[in-house]
Amino acid sequence: MRLPGLDPITKKRLQRFRRIKRGYYSFLTLVILFIISLFSEFVANDRAIFVQHEGKMYFPTFRYHDMATFGQEDEYGFNDVEANYRALKDEKKAFVIMPLIPFDPYEPDFTYDEPPPNRPDRYHWLGTDGQGRDVLARLLYGFRISMIFALCLVIVSQTTGTIIGSLQGYKGGTFDLLSQRFVEIWSSLPFLFVVIILASMFRVNVIVLVLIYALFQWIGITYFMRTEMYREKTREYCLAAQSYGASGWRIMFRHLLPNCITPLVTLTPFTIVGAIFGLTALDFLGYGLPPPTPSWGELIGQGLQSDNRDSVWLSISPFGAISFTLILVTFVGESVREAFDPKQYARYK
Amino acid sequence: MTRFTFLLSAVVLCLFTVSSVQAEDLSQIEWETSANVLIGDPNAKQGGTFRTWINAYPLTFRLVGPDSNDGFSGWKRSFSQDFTLAQMHPTTDEWIPLMATHWKTMPDGKTIYFKLDPDATWSDGKPITASDYVFTWEMCQSPHIVDPFYNQYMLDYYESVEALDTYTLKIVGKQKSWRPLYEYNLWPMPRHVHDIKDGWVKDMNLVTPTVPGPYVITEQQQGKKVVFERTRPWWGDGKERFKGLFNVDKIDVLVVLDTDKAYDHFVKGDINFLRMTTAKTWAEMDLEAVDKGWVQKKRIFVDYPQGMYGFAMNVQKPPFTDVNFRKALQYSLDFDEINDNLMYSAYFRMVSAFEGMIYENPDLKPYGFDPKKAREHLSLAGFTKRGKDGIFAKEDGTRASFSFTYGSPGLTRHVTVVKQKFKRLGIEMELDLLEGGTAFKKGLERDYQCMLMSRTTNFFPGPHQYFHSDFLPTTNNNNIWAYGTPETDKLIDVYRFDEDADARLKAMHELDAAIQDAAFYIPLWQAPFVRVLHWNDVQFPRGYFPKRFQRIENSQVFWIDTDKEAELMAAKKSGKSLTVDGVVDVDAYGIKAAMEKSMSSLSN
Repeated sequence: MRLPGLDPITKKRLQRFRRIKRGYYSFLTLVILFIISLFSEFVANDRAIFVQHEGKMYFPTFRYHDMATFGQEDEYGFNDVEANYRALKDEKKAFVIMPLIPFDPYEPDFTYDEPPPNRPDRYHWLGTDGQGRDVLARLLYGFRISMIFALCLVIVSQTTGTIIGSLQGYKGGTFDLLSQRFVEIWSSLPFLFVVIILASMFRVNVIVLVLIYALFQWIGITYFMRTEMYREKTREYCLAAQSYGASGWRIMFRHLLPNCITPLVTLTPFTIVGAIFGLTALDFLGYGLPPPTPSWGELIGQGLQSDNRDSVWLSISPFGAISFTLILVTFVGESVREAFDPKQYARYK
Repeated sequence: MTRFTFLLSAVVLCLFTVSSVQAEDLSQIEWETSANVLIGDPNAKQGGTFRTWINAYPLTFRLVGPDSNDGFSGWKRSFSQDFTLAQMHPTTDEWIPLMATHWKTMPDGKTIYFKLDPDATWSDGKPITASDYVFTWEMCQSPHIVDPFYNQYMLDYYESVEALDTYTLKIVGKQKSWRPLYEYNLWPMPRHVHDIKDGWVKDMNLVTPTVPGPYVITEQQQGKKVVFERTRPWWGDGKERFKGLFNVDKIDVLVVLDTDKAYDHFVKGDINFLRMTTAKTWAEMDLEAVDKGWVQKKRIFVDYPQGMYGFAMNVQKPPFTDVNFRKALQYSLDFDEINDNLMYSAYFRMVSAFEGMIYENPDLKPYGFDPKKAREHLSLAGFTKRGKDGIFAKEDGTRASFSFTYGSPGLTRHVTVVKQKFKRLGIEMELDLLEGGTAFKKGLERDYQCMLMSRTTNFFPGPHQYFHSDFLPTTNNNNIWAYGTPETDKLIDVYRFDEDADARLKAMHELDAAIQDAAFYIPLWQAPFVRVLHWNDVQFPRGYFPKRFQRIENSQVFWIDTDKEAELMAAKKSGKSLTVDGVVDVDAYGIKAAMEKSMSSLSN
């Protein structure tokens, strides 16, 4: 892959990354899965992707069509409720392309004889949860939310942490002294308790949760950036930049920071792991995203309820999904670290 | 003054004081009592050990003060300490003697004279006298017991408590009441044992209490179990009102921290009586011991006030200001969907705001699930156009959308199903799960649109605090729906103050109908039954529990049949089956029959 414009060091790092097969393929798998989950509405939904009815074409995924459009009527005699696409397909009254998983993560399925949760069968490949909702659909939508949450969190917290850490390292002196004390005090706050208290006082959504979480997460990277900055500050090129009158900000971000990104890049995958795990933990406790948002933690929570302990698919599915995702991310992280800071140049040990 | 005059005036003074002591002429009182005092089965056998469980080791054995009202308190109250002057018969609702054999309520509706049972003694042998009741009154007003509830209670209800002689008590309440025996009852505390001073709470924490009842705590294993033993002979033995009660020799209260483990303990035999709380475990139970007749599985229908449990709507916040929107919501709730699919069809719908009481309007028809009527009321409320997202909206664009606040995560799956159904019918309900205390507080402050509410009730309901406009101008009260009309206010005042029982009943029935018509309360389910498992050696009277039964700790009618116990032991060893009585439902008071009748009226 030729990437014009990148400097040779970065090119070499990317090459090294690609060479480590385990990490590279994990990365590709994650990216593909993430892209698929971004299009969850086309993979798992009770709305059809495409309908051809009486010569007209419809794309219902993001549009509301009522039953009257397709000549349907519901059990209460209304025809202005949303069309039932599965029924439309079964009745063969129109040409319908349903998503791979013809269920959405919100609607309960009470058509079984036994009450939910129902075990996996050919309709619900991973069974249904305590309210009859399809587990696979919830896993998929949950994956999307977890990844978006993790990525947003990483962007917000790492950016904040990097800026503050770099400032600490570059400025040094009183600023470093005071801000480091602040960081130490702030990091001693019990993170989980504060998040739980905040989440129980008002309704949270993804953005609020990202902000609350980021309040605590930014600290981690500051230690590394600070140290890196201190080291780079002593180099000659830094002196050179200062001598021709470059401003502090320019030196920091244009000259020094590119040489300090090793810890940032190598830690980011693990921060993502932590974020996914943190969100899952919060949802499991019931203090994360509000119901009925699909989430892995909520599914695990259901699986561990005493009534549901016999329904093993409820706990094994999200557990499997989390393990798989986190293992992949960890492989990527390892490879990134190897690529940016290969053992051949290791200074420690 | 001469010495003679002095002596004369002294004698006159003495006579005067003596006569003022005799000012209460008790000979004129026509004492009342009741002869229908039998609660238990007089053929109940004596002996054996009853094994039960609680969730946490009690923090105290005190009757009042901090931590005294926990899961253990039922046992210490009904079997040991909380023996009041008179009691309400748990099946006939009549007032019958307990510690007092006779009483007389004066026409002023607040003065009651009690004649105490002279045989009553404390567990240390000393007699229980009227002075012990005065002591209770004094004690409960003291700040040293650290119990603001009782402090306030004594202040609000009792004017004076006087011991007229050793076995005669006079209680004067603060205001006229049509149920003085209910409001001005009292229990004794041993004056000779308690020294109410600073530090009383801590000193008396786990001290074995001196009690009027037949069971005394004889063994405490911190964190593990508490054992009550039956005092024989007890002063109440042989008395008509105690026949068939307090039959077992020992009550073992085991501490089981994890509620699910209680079932395992029961199967093992550590516990011989278990109350099952979830529909799922009841429906899916597969116990060999039941099939062999060693364990009885019973669903016992009882009749006690259910309180209120359901959706509450804030009448002051749109869209609930419009009664048509409220009615639309009433017709949109598909109770059967939740009951049949999530709760094994185990429960019954509540209809009245006074469910389980005589004040329940018997002609009330529940709203029921009716999508057509829901649609009608929605358009009457102005929501006529169905938007692109399937939710109805008014001409000006206001959507049929509201937030639903609730505090119990266990209800999430039920309300999510309701939310989906509402969505199909064109109403959007956003779920707002908050921490329990926060949700409750929001209700009190009327900072919600629709919320899940739950209130227990006593034998006599309190409609004033829930529905009277007195509570409209302020918040932090129980009128969480902000409801109050002049008509219903009048009805509530009839209930509170009218002497005529029929007038009160009629007023409450009218109130019930008015509340239903205002549609701000959607009642959910009730479980007017108790699901129990018990080993065969534990026996009960024919109807199992008295009509007003709530918990086993309040019901002293069970006994252990030692012959059956031996038979059970032998059967378990050999694996032999005992007679299996296939009946699961016990409906001695016709509750189930009445419930099924009203359910069938729903489908009409």
